[in-house]
Amino acid sequence: MISKINKSNYGYLFIAPFFIGFGIFGLIPILYTFYLSFTKWDGFTDPVYVGLANYSRLLHDTYFYQTIGNTLIIWVMSIVPQLIIALILAIILNEKFIRGKHFFRAVYYFPHIITPITLGVMFSLMFDWQTGSVNKVLMDLGIVSEPVNWFSSPWWSRTIVSAVICWQYFGFNLIVFIAGLQSISDEVYEAAKMDGANKWKSTLYITLPMLRPVFLFTFITSVIGGLQLFDAPLMLGDGPNNTTRTMVMYLYQTAFKNFDYSYGATVAYGIFVVVMILTAITAKASKLNE
Amino acid sequence: MKAQKWASILMTTVLATGVLTACGSKPNNNSTATNSPAASVAPVDPAKLSGTLSLWTFFDGTKGIATAFEKKYPNVKVDVKVFPGDQYQIKLLSALQSGKDVPDVLDLERSYVGKFIESPFLMDLAPIGAADLVKNYIPYVSELGKSSDGKIKAISDQSSPGGFWYLKENAKKYLGTDDSTQISEMVNSYDKIVELGKKVAKQSDGKVHLIANAGDLFDIASYNTQPFYLNGKLNIDPRWEKVYNSQKEIRTNNVDGKLPFMSAGWGNALNDGSVVLVAMPAWATFMIGNKDNKAVGKFGVAKTPEGFYNGGTFRAIYNKTANKDIAAEFIKFSASAEWQNADLLARGNMPALQSVYDANLDKYTAPLTGDQKVLQPYYAMMKSMPVIKSDKYSDSILSLWRKTAGQGITDNKSYANVVAAFQKEVKAAFPELQ
Repeated sequence: MISKINKSNYGYLFIAPFFIGFGIFGLIPILYTFYLSFTKWDGFTDPVYVGLANYSRLLHDTYFYQTIGNTLIIWVMSIVPQLIIALILAIILNEKFIRGKHFFRAVYYFPHIITPITLGVMFSLMFDWQTGSVNKVLMDLGIVSEPVNWFSSPWWSRTIVSAVICWQYFGFNLIVFIAGLQSISDEVYEAAKMDGANKWKSTLYITLPMLRPVFLFTFITSVIGGLQLFDAPLMLGDGPNNTTRTMVMYLYQTAFKNFDYSYGATVAYGIFVVVMILTAITAKASKLNE
Repeated sequence: MKAQKWASILMTTVLATGVLTACGSKPNNNSTATNSPAASVAPVDPAKLSGTLSLWTFFDGTKGIATAFEKKYPNVKVDVKVFPGDQYQIKLLSALQSGKDVPDVLDLERSYVGKFIESPFLMDLAPIGAADLVKNYIPYVSELGKSSDGKIKAISDQSSPGGFWYLKENAKKYLGTDDSTQISEMVNSYDKIVELGKKVAKQSDGKVHLIANAGDLFDIASYNTQPFYLNGKLNIDPRWEKVYNSQKEIRTNNVDGKLPFMSAGWGNALNDGSVVLVAMPAWATFMIGNKDNKAVGKFGVAKTPEGFYNGGTFRAIYNKTANKDIAAEFIKFSASAEWQNADLLARGNMPALQSVYDANLDKYTAPLTGDQKVLQPYYAMMKSMPVIKSDKYSDSILSLWRKTAGQGITDNKSYANVVAAFQKEVKAAFPELQ
């Protein structure tokens, strides 16, 4: 039995590159952003210290609150179908009798390797008011008599943005679920079968409970990723009355379109706080369910 | 313990180096000193000028002037870097702030030239004879390159005029004529556009539209109205109400194809004739499909109700460049009749110099527009454009107006409603404005 762990200090040298890289490219920008949030800076002149003025502005900024709401709505509208589709397909593709399962897994994963910008542009062309293929198909089928202006409706706009994200990520979650399913021992299913459980009962009482850690992983990563939605929604625009403008889009527009870097930095810290709170709620809720 | 100590020292050293490097790059914005002799107004012998000039731009077309300059100055190489889209402004500003890897000459687009010329990074072009270079310019073009204290900081080599482009065959069918002057008369007011548009929609059973988008009126009205920023305040020219109501009428009467500028559908309409008149700047003719010269001679250009221009490339010199002599010659070359004439003949880019317009007015024809003396409608409109200064806010606010009013047209909202929403947007984006 080993009574003492060998704590050789050479180990620090091996882990140092990460911390050095993080320090330079992660920690310093994070601290500099925090400093900027206490200044007024347009990028052309030197920053001027303004104390908590930017935070006061943020607290009264209704557009920022709107972006929090938009982000949450879009996230919920994308995560729910995303996880349901991924789970159902994972269970189906995990069955031994399904032929060509590797092909289908690759096909479903494919949207995940397309850049979000490309997906955003693709969907904006598909749903274009006058020239989009979706309207052409609907009109050819006689479902609508004139083109639908999808992006003039807040809920259609949000649905399309959510659909882009759902389509992009369900393949990734599918792979994660399949990995989780394959970690469940066949013996458990065989024992259930011996006890007379059918496929449905096995899924309900064995598969789903044993996938709980996987659910937790996908859920928390989805919360963090979902609250940072940016590139795909950016390509689809702000939506009517800014109803598809997400928090990070607002940060981008403030800092890099309006050249208000200091308020952009403040918005970044606002987003950080929102993400922290919601991640904590998610983690707490997950533990309570156990 | 010893190894731990060395690891700590190593990590601390690397972190401290990073911090100090970042701090060390902070520029001294107030300094305009240069180690290069001041450029002179006198012509330079092309053979004696040598070196490499770095040029940053957002526009691929700038390579044309670089090549022409290299031809004239055989010992000079112009290193052009193109950064398309929004990234260009950010990249440029970061470089100027850090003072590292900054280009000698930088291109600035019309919509943000005002932000940069008020900054301390650009050279006052007076020592290179800027006043003389632009004295024969289209007035609005020269004014846009001046900072608020009247110094010339940037010079453009184009006037970027816009007009109504049309397929002649289509115009004959729906308007009864393909003559540019007659068509200009038919659409010389917003009211006439609405009335004519109703007829076209009726004649084509709603399949063909007179103009591409009610939003075209934003482009036309943009620089014929007072700027949105005036004396530290948000300023909404009362003329916008008339423009907005005309836009609503255009939309409700099916006058427009609802195709935003430069969208895929807009490009198709330009080529297939589902829109009769397309408001388009002269530089955008690359959108016309001319494979095997199939579009040669098929287009015409008419005047819009008021003159308009779209975009524009302004060129400035970094104030601490070590290449001031070459940079100065480059700016002088871009402002010369020699270059602007060559650019007009080779690429159809409309000049900023009135003398180049004058010299070509009655003889210049372009392949796409056949025998039409296409400079004539443009020149008249460009000379009449109001002379306004660039500023830091107006163009950013204009884009907020486009967004808010564009939404208002789609939702058929009242002008008052749109103005209220717009003021709220502006206040959120620029709280420092009154």
